[in-house]
Amino acid sequence: MVAEDRINMDIYKVVTRAIASSDNLEDMAIQLTQLLVGALGIKGSTIFVLNPATEELEALASFGLSISYMNKGPILIKKSLDHQLKGEAIVIRDVSKTDRLQYPEDAQKEGIRAIVSLPISLHGKLIGVLRLYHYEQWDVSEQDLDSLMIFTENIGLALMYTRLLQALKSVKETVNEVHPIWLD
Amino acid sequence: MDTPKILLPYNFTSYDKKALDFVCRTFSDKKEAEITLFNAYIPAPIIEMRGSPIMKQMKDTLSYLSQRVKEQEDALHTIKAHLLGKGFSEDNIDIVFEPKNKDVAGDIIDLAQDGRFDIVVLNRKPGKIARFFAGSVSSKVVAALKNATVCIVS
Repeated sequence: MVAEDRINMDIYKVVTRAIASSDNLEDMAIQLTQLLVGALGIKGSTIFVLNPATEELEALASFGLSISYMNKGPILIKKSLDHQLKGEAIVIRDVSKTDRLQYPEDAQKEGIRAIVSLPISLHGKLIGVLRLYHYEQWDVSEQDLDSLMIFTENIGLALMYTRLLQALKSVKETVNEVHPIWLD
Repeated sequence: MDTPKILLPYNFTSYDKKALDFVCRTFSDKKEAEITLFNAYIPAPIIEMRGSPIMKQMKDTLSYLSQRVKEQEDALHTIKAHLLGKGFSEDNIDIVFEPKNKDVAGDIIDLAQDGRFDIVVLNRKPGKIARFFAGSVSSKVVAALKNATVCIVS
């Protein structure tokens, strides 16, 4: 069976604009998860950032998942859909038929049937993951996977851009605190 | 400070629970304390593509979003019930649940200043990498507030 393409040009434009138009990382990330869930007609979506010290995935934004599922426990990258092949998406079309999940029972209890996990990389290094959750089996088309991978590349850039913006704001605040008497 | 006025931003993580426990423990002998639970949700994005097929798809999501927002509000009432169970007075516990206006830190600062809160109880997960990208809420609040005590539970 040929998988149906869900991401058309309209969706592509809306999602890309949402990423590009916000200077607030939290807002951008949450609106992006909302848009993806709405546009793809799926159950939920989460953007994680990878903590390199603990190898834990920390949720930056999420939509569609219950509070209890979000608090199920720490998500370790090596136990939860490990992206060993950096740059490649992982598609679990049926969560009941995989041993790659860290919390398989929680996923089933949440009503998750399929998961698509996409690496967010910057300069070849994994810095986060975008995960999409569907309530039914999901055959993702190659074209949709390509589009999603482009979204995650843009998310990676947005993460770094907002980090630099934070740094600049911090420098500006520090400079503003310099008393004029020091400059006379 | 006879009757402390406490602002407790709450976002349903395990660290928010720690902050809640801190408030219950620390103010156990001040049951008359005024406590305000605060949560700001992010409304659905505005899509400038009227008449586009994506709007119909998004419409279904918007109703779903309203449902999720309601669930979040209900969850805040559960936290209020927890405080009542600890002996705090119903008349003194408020819930502020509203769409996000600025950013999380900005909204907390505005509410703390406008509401003249004596104490703001925040939480902070040590070593959290998301802070590296999004900035520290607790640092911004501490830097901005005057005439208030900011407690950070970690």
